[in-house]
Amino acid sequence: MENDYIISWKTAGIALGLLLVVATALVKPLGVSTQFVVTDAMVAHAIAPEFAESNEYLAKYGVPTNWLPGYGWMLVIGMLCGGALTARLFKSRQPQQDRGSMPTLWRERFGHSSVKRNTAAFFGGMLLLFGARLAGGCTSGHMISGISQLALSSFIFGIVTFGAAILMAKYLYRTPS
Amino acid sequence: METLITGFFIGCAFGAILYLGGATSYRRIMGTLLLKDMWIIKLMATAIGVGTLGIYVLDIGNLAHFSIKPVYVWGIVLGGAIFGIGWAISGYCPGTCLVATAEGKKDALFTLLGALSGAFIFSLLFPTIEALLIENANFGALTLEHLIGVQGIYLAIPLSAVLLFVAFFGLKDRYQ
Repeated sequence: MENDYIISWKTAGIALGLLLVVATALVKPLGVSTQFVVTDAMVAHAIAPEFAESNEYLAKYGVPTNWLPGYGWMLVIGMLCGGALTARLFKSRQPQQDRGSMPTLWRERFGHSSVKRNTAAFFGGMLLLFGARLAGGCTSGHMISGISQLALSSFIFGIVTFGAAILMAKYLYRTPS
Repeated sequence: METLITGFFIGCAFGAILYLGGATSYRRIMGTLLLKDMWIIKLMATAIGVGTLGIYVLDIGNLAHFSIKPVYVWGIVLGGAIFGIGWAISGYCPGTCLVATAEGKKDALFTLLGALSGAFIFSLLFPTIEALLIENANFGALTLEHLIGVQGIYLAIPLSAVLLFVAFFGLKDRYQ
């Protein structure tokens, strides 16, 4: 169980920590969730520029970059490429039970319906980004980058997030009485 | 232009590490949230342990480009709770849903689409939310360094040591 991934948690953790240090030295720490707003702003600006410019929040993330991609957005595109490339190269070494779009754990608890799984995934995603934008960051920007910078806000975010996620996970996977 | 290219390559490495290290595995993520499989939390604690030390070593030479998020208590607590619930429901976080989508997982693509909608809904409600939850009890961008009044590196060394110790020796998987 301990060592059944392509690289171990130790290697991945050390590599991620070093990557964060490199990013902080070169440009700024890692962050992902802001780029969902930037993407929304780009799409909204392409479809309905007046609406996008009148929306205070979208405009905040659209104007400084002239509604064009910046460093953070390129980082997200890089994540897609890096993920796609390594997934192609190392697919055969990925544990069998982690392949495919229907997690075994979910199927055992909630059944075979992919509609059910995808609906939950969609609404989960909605809560994720609503929460991340309200709190000002996500797992990368707040927890990993933020705590590494000793930011008080990120310690609070980390504790509350893990607390809520553990309670929700325990509720979803409670043993039926 | 150079910054954009740097961003792209840092992103590539980030995506590769998350995939190779199993951060896109629903089994690993839910295992951690159910407090049975410590893989993900050990990975995160190691990353933060290395990151904290590295960033504050950079800081000694004034080489760190900090990005500290402000402390607005209500927004962070409520946002963190909503984020945590979404994390447990979908099994992904914003970064891992991107990588898992690239990997070809359809449920991750649905999380990604949900995330774009969630960010959009937030942008529509922003003026009200800002007045209520972000401008109230907002103490600005505080770090433990400011709060305790000790140079960062002296806090980074013990924090880093504790996190690495917990990751390497403290946390054990618990399967019945």
